[in-house]
Amino acid sequence: MPVFAAAPSHLLNPTTLPSSFTSRRKLAPPSSSTAATSRAPSLKCQLSSSSSFPTPQNPQPFELKPRGPIIKKLSIALAVASSVTLVLNLRKFVFKGDGNFGGGAGNGGNWFGGGGGGGDGSGGDGGGFWKNLFCPAANADESPSQEWDSHGLPANIVVQLNKLSGFKKYKVSEILFFDRRRWTTVGSEDSFFEMVSLRPGGVYTKAQLQKELEALANCGMFEKVDLEGKTNPDGTLGLTISFTESTWQSADKFRCINVGLMAQSKPIEMDPDMTEKEKLEYFRNQEKDYKRRIERARTCLLPAPVQREVLQMLREQGKVSARLLQKIRDRVQKWYHDEGYACAQVVNFGNLNTKEVVCEVVEGDITQLLIQFQDKLGNVVEGNTQIPVVHRELPRQLRPGKVFNIEAGKQALRNINSLALFSNIEVNPRPDEKNEGGIIVEIKLKELEQKTAEVSTEWSIVPGRGGYPTLASLQPGGTVTFEHRNLKGLNRSILGSVTTSNFCNPQDDLAFKLEYVHPYLDGVYNPRNRTLRVSCFNSRKLSPVFTGGPGVDEVPPIWVDRAGLKTNITENFTRQSKFTYGLVMEEITTRDESSHICPYGQRVLPSGGISVDGPPTTLSGTGIDRMAFLQANITRDNTKFVNGAIVGQRNVFQVDQGLGIGSKFPFFNRHQLTLTQFFQLKKVEEGAGKPPPPVLVLHGHYGGCVGDLPSYDAFTLGGPYSVRGYNMGEIGAARNILELAAELRIPVRGTHVYAFAEHGNDLGSSKDVKGNPTEVYRRMGHGSSYGAGVKLGLVRAEYAVDHNSGSGALFFRFGERF
Amino acid sequence: MASQIREWSGINSFAPATQTKLSELLGKLKQEDVNTLTILVMGKGGVGKSSTVNSIIGERAVTISPFQSEGTRPVMVSRTRAGFTLNIIDTPGLIEGGYINDVALDNIKRFLLNKTIDILLYVDRLDAYRVDNLDREIVKAITGSFGKGIWNRALVVLTHAQLSPPDGLPYEEFFSKRSDALLKALRLGAGLKKSDVQGYGAPVVLVENSGRCNKNETDEKVLPNGIAWIPHLVQVITEVALNGSKSIFVDKTLIEGPNPNDRGKFLIPLILAVQYFLVIKPIERAIRSDVAKENRPSWEMRDTEKTNRKI
Repeated sequence: MPVFAAAPSHLLNPTTLPSSFTSRRKLAPPSSSTAATSRAPSLKCQLSSSSSFPTPQNPQPFELKPRGPIIKKLSIALAVASSVTLVLNLRKFVFKGDGNFGGGAGNGGNWFGGGGGGGDGSGGDGGGFWKNLFCPAANADESPSQEWDSHGLPANIVVQLNKLSGFKKYKVSEILFFDRRRWTTVGSEDSFFEMVSLRPGGVYTKAQLQKELEALANCGMFEKVDLEGKTNPDGTLGLTISFTESTWQSADKFRCINVGLMAQSKPIEMDPDMTEKEKLEYFRNQEKDYKRRIERARTCLLPAPVQREVLQMLREQGKVSARLLQKIRDRVQKWYHDEGYACAQVVNFGNLNTKEVVCEVVEGDITQLLIQFQDKLGNVVEGNTQIPVVHRELPRQLRPGKVFNIEAGKQALRNINSLALFSNIEVNPRPDEKNEGGIIVEIKLKELEQKTAEVSTEWSIVPGRGGYPTLASLQPGGTVTFEHRNLKGLNRSILGSVTTSNFCNPQDDLAFKLEYVHPYLDGVYNPRNRTLRVSCFNSRKLSPVFTGGPGVDEVPPIWVDRAGLKTNITENFTRQSKFTYGLVMEEITTRDESSHICPYGQRVLPSGGISVDGPPTTLSGTGIDRMAFLQANITRDNTKFVNGAIVGQRNVFQVDQGLGIGSKFPFFNRHQLTLTQFFQLKKVEEGAGKPPPPVLVLHGHYGGCVGDLPSYDAFTLGGPYSVRGYNMGEIGAARNILELAAELRIPVRGTHVYAFAEHGNDLGSSKDVKGNPTEVYRRMGHGSSYGAGVKLGLVRAEYAVDHNSGSGALFFRFGERF
Repeated sequence: MASQIREWSGINSFAPATQTKLSELLGKLKQEDVNTLTILVMGKGGVGKSSTVNSIIGERAVTISPFQSEGTRPVMVSRTRAGFTLNIIDTPGLIEGGYINDVALDNIKRFLLNKTIDILLYVDRLDAYRVDNLDREIVKAITGSFGKGIWNRALVVLTHAQLSPPDGLPYEEFFSKRSDALLKALRLGAGLKKSDVQGYGAPVVLVENSGRCNKNETDEKVLPNGIAWIPHLVQVITEVALNGSKSIFVDKTLIEGPNPNDRGKFLIPLILAVQYFLVIKPIERAIRSDVAKENRPSWEMRDTEKTNRKI
């Protein structure tokens, strides 16, 4: 909160009185904890920034918090899990500036005055103006409803300030600024206007008005400033502030330095009895000190283009004026804030009256990073989570020594949230009291319960005889889940779940899963991000291999039950790209409708009978297969959202390598490659609310298998994720398949419509699946489809024409095809 | 099993001369330790397959339907005489509507499962003048089902042998022209190699099933060239049965073709290596270049530039 301190220079440059331009950050409000308590438990980022331009408090009716500084609220929309509270606090920074420092403007100002100008400080009482500006107490005691006294003077006469009565409360009807240099009245949009805390309609005493005037006189913006009142017939006063703006020598150089964390050198009191020589010596010292300060200061982040822009401003202007410095400060601060450096402030301009303007910025260097755990009541506790786990999620830009950036804070929030270990996450930058200009980044975390167990039940009513539900057909079903997460504070977890549709008869269908997740396989300090997963699972799926082609009525369904053990290691390269490899051992059982093990598919004979000599369902021919194989999957995904539309490329390659271990010693290499590319067809401007671009999606999928191929591992064609417009497996089941698809998405009113064409082909390899299920169930082995649809929220509504039969149908599907 | 098989009584209906010859031939077979002979009869529809079966057996063992296609299921007729068993499998016509009838072929294959085929009678008509693609297709289908080896056990049977050749061609010339054309189609359809062709020629036998067939003095049915065809046919069958080539045993692999699961298995290690080096590695490289090229927000870039900042 830069404020400009006047330091009338009498010695070397009597004409340009204020040789210094000091800015002081605001004094602390009583307690910084106010911000903490007022923190809303919501997804909100409070930026109580003190970096806004000093707006001294004023008794305006609309001012709800008369004492609060201008609070800039930044609402950060973070798409996160609903129950987690994320708070990024950017509250008021309390820099403990000593009020006196600025006050000794004469002295303090000197080392800013630096070079040629050589400001002298027989300056005014700086402390006073500080108080005035920053302690709104001076005039905060008014309220709009307050009584006021008539001036009791004849109307339409001009009264000097000192002629006003000290006992009366005057109502100010209007405030005018009069620029003596330009000889014009400036409007309220002028940057000077915000320097004044008085507001039209307010009620002030003479003392308050005098203090205000003093403050203006001492702020460094003005060489000379006067306050006059004009009596109005209705008893109110119209105020006119006439001023002469401060100016300095023109400059043709601009330098921006980071003075954060630098010790503010205490000015040496100047002895009023100093001789001329001593004074000269004194100023020389001041000058030297300042030069050293500039040298010591670190370069700032301000990029060259902005610096050039500022230089341009300086050159155009000629003389450096207070207004210009204000503009420069605004420009510099704007850049910082636009880039997310929310704690950065211009604190001072130095070296005035030389050829160079030095802009001193406190950028907000992080001096410390604190990670704290809190219990439910907000007390600081020792957390279970190990600190490095949190630490490795933080962007480097939040480490000590870096400049605090709000985007880095948001990134930290998102990253920590993705750990799914905390119910409440707060990232608070707060000023470092011991290190002026420094920022301590506090990360406060509330941990979730380590152990959770959950039972969800459901009753399914099964139609009984005659289609009516009977009592006996009420089945209690549900899921039991338990989770023990964050074992050893290293985010390891064990998760188990059991699901059945009938607890009374769980052997009918029991789905279970037990998983152990072990992240940071290479150590929590190692940047390599590999996660080990061991899981024990079972699943039951309807086999799409045993599906009839068009015109074939019922093909008796085959259920494929898999139960086994899976161990894999996932290495995450980016958030989306990863490489997974591991070992799978499983037992596959094929069953018919009535849950009997069924080694061969059934087929309906032309006579209507059912023969059981269809294609074999398993490799072993017994209906039960056991096998062990290696599985590797590499996913490259560089897609990103452009205004809500996916653009980019996604490539997935998966290979299952049989090891020859299991029933009939299965040895095979089953591989599939998927290539999907989302082409952005038009360049669009990115930003919230902007329309997404039209996108062309091209998709290709090749699947193949060499070696032993049981029917449950055959590739099937047809279905919502294969060739739309067909049922699952309606086109065929083959050893090698190729799917090609193209989709054009056109954005329409917040959603998109699309048209697509797809083709699936068995490459003549249907006969290479044992028993040729494609032919047995009279399927074509290849097929195309085309259609169009519209996306309605999560649902796709599409009309697809199946090219084999030439008939179309309307489908509703969840999720995306690609 | 053998007890259930009916006695070959039809043999008695033949002329005595024929009976003698047949007994001789059967004795010859038994001498060579062949006690069972399974004959598969295949061909287009309506060429006289069933009639031929009936003629050999000497009774109406199989129903003949001259105007409509027979049922789609094969029929096996078994007869035994003096410890010798003769199985003749009559099959439905393989052609329907100008195409190979896959269902019929499939049914035949399933019917033949776990049976041994000693002799294949490929039946066609003598009085068909043209050999076309369809013949080749049938041959191909048979070869595809039972393998090339079946043609070593095959006889080409031409029915309706009692005819007067058109344009006054001599009967012998017409017969040889017709059989040459058919054998050529057979060779092409079966995909036999040149070297196989050299010493190969499936014996061609003429048959006349009609009741108005001419008979000779011993009451045997004779062809226009004077050969008594039943003994001749059985004789050729005997010759082929004893020609040293192997009978075809129809098992699952024969029906379903070679096991596709075994194909290319030895290439798997190579395939895996190719996948690792030519697919997984390039994708990994692409990911790394994605990471390098990623559009980072400016604040992230800026701080990496000035890492040398001191606290």
